[in-house]
Amino acid sequence: MKGRFITLGMSLLLAVAFGVVAGHEWASPARILKALGGADDMGSQLLLSWRLPRVAASALVGALLGLGGAIFQGVFRNPLAEPYLLGASGGAAIGASIALLVPMGLPEAPLLAALSFLGALGATWLVLAIAGLHRRPDVAGLLLAGVAVAAMLGALRSFLMLALSDDSMNLQVVLSWTLGGIQTPSPTGLALLAGLVIISLLASLSLAHGLDLLGLGDEQAFAFGLNPARFERWAVLTGAAIVAAGVAFGGLVAFVGLIAPHIGRWFVGPRHALLLPASALIGAALVAVCDGIARSALPPAEIPLGLITALVGGPFFLFLLSRRFRT
Amino acid sequence: MPPASRPLRIVGLCVALASFGLACAAPHAQEAQAPISVEDATGRTVVLTKVPRRIVPIFASNAELVSALGLMDQIVGVEDYTRFPPELTQKPKIGGRLGFSVDAIAALKPDLVIVTPARQAMHQLIDPMTRIGVPVLVLLARDVDEVLSNLRLVGKATGIPERGEAVASALEQRLTTVAARKGTRCPSVVMITGKLGNGLVLVARSDTYTGDAIVRAGGCHALERSVVAHVSPEAVIASDPDVLLFAGRQEDLDLLKQQPGWKLLRAIKEGRAHMVSRAEFLIPGPRTIDGIEKLADLLRHDAS
Repeated sequence: MKGRFITLGMSLLLAVAFGVVAGHEWASPARILKALGGADDMGSQLLLSWRLPRVAASALVGALLGLGGAIFQGVFRNPLAEPYLLGASGGAAIGASIALLVPMGLPEAPLLAALSFLGALGATWLVLAIAGLHRRPDVAGLLLAGVAVAAMLGALRSFLMLALSDDSMNLQVVLSWTLGGIQTPSPTGLALLAGLVIISLLASLSLAHGLDLLGLGDEQAFAFGLNPARFERWAVLTGAAIVAAGVAFGGLVAFVGLIAPHIGRWFVGPRHALLLPASALIGAALVAVCDGIARSALPPAEIPLGLITALVGGPFFLFLLSRRFRT
Repeated sequence: MPPASRPLRIVGLCVALASFGLACAAPHAQEAQAPISVEDATGRTVVLTKVPRRIVPIFASNAELVSALGLMDQIVGVEDYTRFPPELTQKPKIGGRLGFSVDAIAALKPDLVIVTPARQAMHQLIDPMTRIGVPVLVLLARDVDEVLSNLRLVGKATGIPERGEAVASALEQRLTTVAARKGTRCPSVVMITGKLGNGLVLVARSDTYTGDAIVRAGGCHALERSVVAHVSPEAVIASDPDVLLFAGRQEDLDLLKQQPGWKLLRAIKEGRAHMVSRAEFLIPGPRTIDGIEKLADLLRHDAS
């Protein structure tokens, strides 16, 4: 098992290395070493102050999405569950629309992160509250509530976009955010993001045992001393908070939360104590690579990250679906 | 209907039309006679059976073109974002923020609608307008020359081809003056036209009329042509232009300067990051020429 984690760790390193090399101009390893050695030409400084933090941020956002995805799939005991399932994406997009379109006189970057975080978490909380009005929500009820809330939030988002945009604040501002994309963080922002990843990893590991028990079925879990209803709600909220943190820094990056836990299961099996960190590593590697492709495929343009992850994730999702239909 | 009444009706109609035509023609002696037939930017032949008197120009650029020809009085409706000349904000609105209202346009009884293919306007309007017999003129602005030829085209369509020609030639003359004063060195320029929610920036591409306006003002594009206008900040910073232009508000430019990496730009370090007017560079109307003149001065000043 240790060997598998070493493989995953190496993959992440390779992915990060690719991310640093890739860009509108490919940077040779020699140039990167020169920059790391403290050269003060513009190219080197740009690598250090722009590209490296960006690659680090992409890996960290990927880790959050991977963790969130693994928690959601564990709670719903459904391999097709993904972290945006319960309205998180719609809620986050509303928060982002407000941050981007309503002038509030506050610095944009932290405001965007804060409002999209609150939106994502708020939407999930709303779904849980609606589905749990009378009794313990069954999975189907929760998912349906999620679909309905997501549809309403999506419409509200579109309305906000149309109503609040004008000739200087056009629709593209919000639309591009919904397509995902890592913003190069300031050093403080990067430190905050790294801190959030550590907290998220610890929080999700504290759920690992409960998620394993939940996998045995409600009665078994209950027999082992777990209150499935309470645990599910807590786990979903934790997962949503983790995903919301990822969304706050990377916009709506599609499919990573769905794919990462699957690849993780192939590597380390279904036990969550191993699956959660594995999903984080895989999510990190995936987003670092996709972000590298996004920055380097059509220079000097940059393709929104969510398009790249969806173009990779879409076929994967279809593959899973077709296998499910066959069994 | 008794058959005998038909010739009478036709005579009546002719008299009415003739007197209407006289009434209209009298104060506009120079006007061309209807029907007017012009070919628009999409290659459609637009036939105006009478000289238009009630015009709905959709989008700020088209309203400015019509106003520049002295036809502001004939504009009967505009869309939500049309704000220049300021008098136009008082005109009835036909939508724009949340789509365009065919009903609102029809209620204004226009005899000419001018559109540009943006925000679904063409798609939403051409078919219904044509069905109710309102001619629709489609304009494009792919370069500065096309902006000027739009003045000629609108002049022709509204029955005042001489005025269209006069206004366009006067603007051309100003461009010739700018070109004559151009320095030998061509400073590299990037114009940022917006910052997106995902951290990317929008830039004026070389193959747009805004890109053309930059070249007319004496600038060269620092960035190679991009497939889409969403450009990575890293690419802009690495291109290290002589001059950085920002079409927007000063406070947004100041915010941009504080983002990671932007401090590295020579243009920012050496004080050649300037704000330019969005109206002059992003609304393809006559004010574009004002923008080109101001930018030419700015570039010459920076080079000295």
